[in-house]
Amino acid sequence: MTPEAMFQIANPIAMLGWIALTFAPFAPRITDTIAALIIPMLMSVAYSALILAYWSGATGGYSSLPDVMALFTDPHIALAGWVHYLAFDLFVGAWATRMARAAGINHLLVLPHLVLIFLFGPAGFLTYYAMHWAFGLRTSTKGASA
Amino acid sequence: MTALPISRTTTNRMWHDAPAFTGLALFVALTAVPLLAAAMIDSRTFLDAPVWQKPLQFHLALGTYIITLAFFARFLPDGMQSRRWRVYAGVVCFCILAELVWVGAAASYATASHFNTDDVVMGTIYGFMGVFAVILTSPSLVMGISIWKNPNTGLSPALHLSVALGLILTFVLTLIAAGTMSSMPGHTIGTPVTGAAMPILGWSREVGDLRVGHFFATHALHALPIVGLIAARLFDAATARGIVGASALAYAALVILTMVQAFQGQPFLPWLG
Repeated sequence: MTPEAMFQIANPIAMLGWIALTFAPFAPRITDTIAALIIPMLMSVAYSALILAYWSGATGGYSSLPDVMALFTDPHIALAGWVHYLAFDLFVGAWATRMARAAGINHLLVLPHLVLIFLFGPAGFLTYYAMHWAFGLRTSTKGASA
Repeated sequence: MTALPISRTTTNRMWHDAPAFTGLALFVALTAVPLLAAAMIDSRTFLDAPVWQKPLQFHLALGTYIITLAFFARFLPDGMQSRRWRVYAGVVCFCILAELVWVGAAASYATASHFNTDDVVMGTIYGFMGVFAVILTSPSLVMGISIWKNPNTGLSPALHLSVALGLILTFVLTLIAAGTMSSMPGHTIGTPVTGAAMPILGWSREVGDLRVGHFFATHALHALPIVGLIAARLFDAATARGIVGASALAYAALVILTMVQAFQGQPFLPWLG
């Protein structure tokens, strides 16, 4: 299978996970299992297989920016990197969904952060945490005044 | 949560008697999944075989070995509960994991793990792995002797003897077969032309292959208990024990004969084609 073909398969699988997270309140346990376990696990198997098969033949490494850029000139390693993003971004999205549920934050308020995590992982992680802390502060001040 | 498992099904017993070996067997089986995935996308070969064939064989072989030991642990006087057993089992698990990492890492570079003497680092590791291989084979001897001396296994005399002998023979014969093989420059005797090999096992169909002897040597711990199980059903105790003893001798002879056959440059059962 060419890296392009694997890329074409990986994207819709990740998308399934994000769709599941969007509708998480309707079936929290199932969507958690899909988005935090099954799909990241599948992606991790694919990632591991790519690294096992193609890492030793790749040029570059982790120790300098040009090295990292050289790594990503190899289509299989670039695909592995992309699968890594897909897996971990979805995992963080599922984590944010669970955190919000536990804190009693309305899922509709989580959705914009899920979009941001989906598109720009760490940026969405930041904005989710900002909201989470804001909610925490509100709850604790309410608790103090009550 | 209760302190002790209430139902003692087979798996519960294995977790109870040999937690480290049971856990490692599961771990070794599960970590074969990414290797299978790698095998599906990786077209590289080493010595005419797909590079991931050997790591998969090792996961299968060592997983089978360690789950078998976990199963037989119930016939030890006190399972593997003692501190000495736990430490020993931990060392054995470490050696098994080290072998698997080494074989897997060499495969990812499409290079040799065993018999790699070209590279200084890999040559040094190969030496260590020989020691590790003896350590990971040793629990079969220790368990075999301990089960031999245990009067309360609950097994019929013939089956008791077959389990003990099978375990002891696994150690002794593996040491002979694998030790001999490691003193050679490679596992084949002769020069293969077509690279024809048996499926899964990978033994050469053209020339002698010392891995045949290693395979049968290591599977003594399966073969003899099967003989013991059948003999105990069909014959009286004394006859059954005699059959087990004779089978142990015959099995040792079989291992030696497969080695002799390999040294003569002959493939195993040439008429298999």
